[in-house]
Amino acid sequence: MREAINIKNLSYMYSEDTRALESVNMTVHEGERIAIVGPNGAGKTTLLLHLNGILHGTDGQVEVFGKSVDKVKREEIIKDIGLVFQDPDDQLFMPTIFDDLAFGPINLGLKEDEVRKRVEKALLTLGLSGYENRCPHHLSYGEKKKASLAAVMSMEPRILVLDEPTANLDPRSRAELIEIIKGLNEREGITIVTATHDVNAVPTLADRVYVLNKRIIAEGTSQKIFSDVELLKENNLEVPEVFKLFEVLQCFGYNCEELPLSVDDAIEHLTRTVETEGGHIHLHIHEHTHDQVRKLKDKYEHH
Amino acid sequence: MQVFFFVKRKSAMIEYPEIDRYASLDSPLHRFDPRAKLIAFLFLIFSVVLIPDLKIAFIGFFFAIFLLILSGIPLAFVLRYLKWVAMFVLSFFVILAFTFPGEELFNFYFLSITAEGLYTGSLITLRAFSAVILIFPMIGTMRFDTTIKALDRLKVPNSLVQMLMFTYRYIFVFVDEFQRIWTAMESKGFKLRTTLYALRTIGKALGMLFVRSYERAERVYQAMRSRGYTGNPKTLVEFEIHVKDYILAVFIVGFAISLHVISFLGVV
Repeated sequence: MREAINIKNLSYMYSEDTRALESVNMTVHEGERIAIVGPNGAGKTTLLLHLNGILHGTDGQVEVFGKSVDKVKREEIIKDIGLVFQDPDDQLFMPTIFDDLAFGPINLGLKEDEVRKRVEKALLTLGLSGYENRCPHHLSYGEKKKASLAAVMSMEPRILVLDEPTANLDPRSRAELIEIIKGLNEREGITIVTATHDVNAVPTLADRVYVLNKRIIAEGTSQKIFSDVELLKENNLEVPEVFKLFEVLQCFGYNCEELPLSVDDAIEHLTRTVETEGGHIHLHIHEHTHDQVRKLKDKYEHH
Repeated sequence: MQVFFFVKRKSAMIEYPEIDRYASLDSPLHRFDPRAKLIAFLFLIFSVVLIPDLKIAFIGFFFAIFLLILSGIPLAFVLRYLKWVAMFVLSFFVILAFTFPGEELFNFYFLSITAEGLYTGSLITLRAFSAVILIFPMIGTMRFDTTIKALDRLKVPNSLVQMLMFTYRYIFVFVDEFQRIWTAMESKGFKLRTTLYALRTIGKALGMLFVRSYERAERVYQAMRSRGYTGNPKTLVEFEIHVKDYILAVFIVGFAISLHVISFLGVV
């Protein structure tokens, strides 16, 4: 599989003595879904801004589809990689939604009818058809967030980079956006890189996780990262609620080796267990149950 | 835009500067081609502010009112903005009436009102009101983004168009931002008074707004560059000019010219 993003020894310093990134190494393959997690101020946004050459590392290099971001013209890079910022008011800077969605394609030098086609398609993908003439300040936060994604999708990038896509959204908008992002990967094979605090969204949005705290602390599947409680604690992170619930179930005698991380995982898991254990699941309270539950709760308390 | 940005003292709620609130109405002026409309009205506004004669200024003023009524924009909406203009313009009227040299009409001790002063004051007041009233049928009858695009199509320098475009987009964001700062101040017991302390606090809050705006500007610029901004963004828009637009434009421009012709000939 092709390498979509390759970061080698990337360092970045804001000033003489403020280090934002320290020799970061990262490889993302085409069609992969990656999450970058880490505490506040870990440099997640800074790292993302290097991916399309907005920031240039003080050391090291970034390659997108084999092209060095520092050496190639920016247009070459941005047609492959689309960056969605956290605050939609930063992302939507044109007077109307149509203008905003058309902004990128026009800059790519596309013909007018192609621009219109792409705008229409992006609106359809995000469920925003009919919003063409709306002004950003008349939209709800959830709509603005979707419009931000649409404004990048209209450029039809092969890699989508999202900064906190689920932050500040109501549960329904959050679920919708997660579904849309998942769909873009499944249907169109778009590579997804998400920087997020939302650990509950990570298993659905990523196959592989990088823990970033100025440098890469750990890398691995969601399963591997979320099983390492110490690592998570050190970086102000947590495990998804579903994972916790199944740990509780373990205390009550539920038998499983690999704990599910998302609702989908859980359904699959329960179905399998019910089938192998003869049509039902057996839970009970034994002498250690209460001790185990107490230990479990201690484990997840941040002190 | 700044003119329309004001704080209501009592509720301390800031209103959005929605000059284009009535853009969705339907009137001959709403259907007027945006480019022709801008040119015709700008021509008329310049003509009106250059009128040298009070009687003709009245004709101009009534024509402005006529266009305003034609546009269907509610009078109450216009008056709300006009009162701020009035405060400014009427002070000129008073100053001129008292200070302009000429034949004395009234005398209070050392102050005197002159006929010439009254005449010049009224002339300036009338011109100013006509010009401001004309702004409403001009840009209040289309969405502000249409105005911006029309200016762009009229070959107004791109940097100016961008400034208008981003001001229009972000003034709402800044209003919201200031509103949040204000709410936070009020919920911590701050009251708007004319004390040095209150003024200092407002100064600090405004300073905070500047810092936030500066930081936002940086992020917006990053977002723009991420989508290929190189200095002059283009927009797609289709304007179609018809015969009726030409007729309306010629009518307005013709009226603007005839104001000066009749003043030159001394007909009125």
